[in-house]
Amino acid sequence: MLRLDGKVALVTGCGTVGEGWGNGKAIAVLLARQGASVYGCDLNEEAAQATRKLIEAEGGMAQVQVCDVTRSADVKALVEACVARFGRIDILINNVGRSEPGDPVTMDEAVWDEQMDVNLKSAFLACKYVLPEMERQGGGSVVNISSIAGLRYVGKPQVAYAASKAALMQMTQTTAVIYAARGIRLNCVVPGLMFTPLVKRLADKYAKGDFEGFVAQRHQQVPMGRMGDAWDVANAVLFLASDESRYITGQQLVVDGGITGATR
Amino acid sequence: MNNPNGRLQGKVAIVTGAGCVGPGWGNGRAIAVRFAEEGARVFAVDKDMKAMEETLALVRAAGGDITPHACDVTDSQAIAALVGSCQSVYGGIDILVNNVGGPVPGGPVRLSEADWGQQLDINLTSVFLMCKRVIPVMEAKGAGAIVNIASTSGIRWTGAAAVGYAAAKAGVIQFGRVVGVEYAKKGIRINSVLPGQLHTPLVDAVLARNQSGGDVETLLARRQARIPIPFMGDGRDTANAALFLASDEARWVTGTEIIVDGGMSARCD
Repeated sequence: MLRLDGKVALVTGCGTVGEGWGNGKAIAVLLARQGASVYGCDLNEEAAQATRKLIEAEGGMAQVQVCDVTRSADVKALVEACVARFGRIDILINNVGRSEPGDPVTMDEAVWDEQMDVNLKSAFLACKYVLPEMERQGGGSVVNISSIAGLRYVGKPQVAYAASKAALMQMTQTTAVIYAARGIRLNCVVPGLMFTPLVKRLADKYAKGDFEGFVAQRHQQVPMGRMGDAWDVANAVLFLASDESRYITGQQLVVDGGITGATR
Repeated sequence: MNNPNGRLQGKVAIVTGAGCVGPGWGNGRAIAVRFAEEGARVFAVDKDMKAMEETLALVRAAGGDITPHACDVTDSQAIAALVGSCQSVYGGIDILVNNVGGPVPGGPVRLSEADWGQQLDINLTSVFLMCKRVIPVMEAKGAGAIVNIASTSGIRWTGAAAVGYAAAKAGVIQFGRVVGVEYAKKGIRINSVLPGQLHTPLVDAVLARNQSGGDVETLLARRQARIPIPFMGDGRDTANAALFLASDEARWVTGTEIIVDGGMSARCD
């Protein structure tokens, strides 16, 4: 019953730079394996094309394009292109996001604004253009990828990321109530400390490039003793995207190995 | 049922409260049937064997494997026997779903002390007692998944006073969080499903009598008015969330909750 045959899924941030499985790539591939036609976008064309090739090699259906999801005109064009290619949008996964270091004193105003754009406005814009399509069709499911940084301090100063992810959860919850009668569900997956290719970049940003030390510390922070991976996020996304969760809306599904259940 | 693609293929699941007060999809019945569909062998527990007859028939008609067992899950000795019986029938325990529970109406003034005690026993102590006996079995194997069926009554006022139920269900939620962290490194996950105001047979059989003078339609309309999604869910929605949490798809999900309420708890307007 987790099948998505005949459904069309729009996935933002569908590529992974370099080797390995980032959240967006795992989500796109898993939704395709379940029968969805996937329309993906990414800032990085090569990364997006790699996801498309993977899906097609498995016999799935995919189309990808470059898109800056912080630009309204680009998002509008993206949604139009998806509908032109596949005829509809049943599932929207807002997966784009990025963390920059800083607290209110150390962070430049420009970085704060850019963080709000990439983590929050991106999902707002995608909803702006996709919800009317879903409404025309009589329903749909939106899954926004938030973060436990939107719920707790998780070990590094990233005040704009934290605030924007909290805002994303609340935007999701309120929009869910507003759109429930129109057959559209909106939920968040809230990942904890993940072991994805992104961790390398985070180690450069937050641990002066000490990748091994940064990884060991993140594993040790998690009650289950290890970070999760992109498939843990993708499985939660699939459940919320599918009809098995038809009565779940406005909620957060926390996928974190137990970390937010504990203090330090 | 041999279901090679089943999401619970090869697993043994204890489901408490697997019967139902009437025909239709109660949470426990739906969980037992859904888990069996996905390949689990189901050890179905209820204090009333008769209440499980429809559950057994549904599972067996679909070719599933289910064993009924009568037990009062507030009785520690009876639970010890239950756990032994499940191990001897199926050789282990991979999944425990604590689904037994139910409300008695009344706030602190109206609810009797005896009913308060009984509400905590049936809704919260039952979870503690089942975990006390089942967790060691899972720990010996180094793996297990526990799903507790709590309620949105544990996080909100939901239209009628049932203070013992509400307090006990809040207790169930926090029980899952702390035990989830405690056992995280031992391979045992524990999570809660919080059903909202679903249309289960309990509504027709019990709640309408307590809350609307037996008028089911009036009560259903009152409940629907709180719920953003324009239809009533039923036990199958609870079962699908419990299935996700019990399956390996949720291998890194512990100490948390899934709320299945059509958006009800997202609003206070």
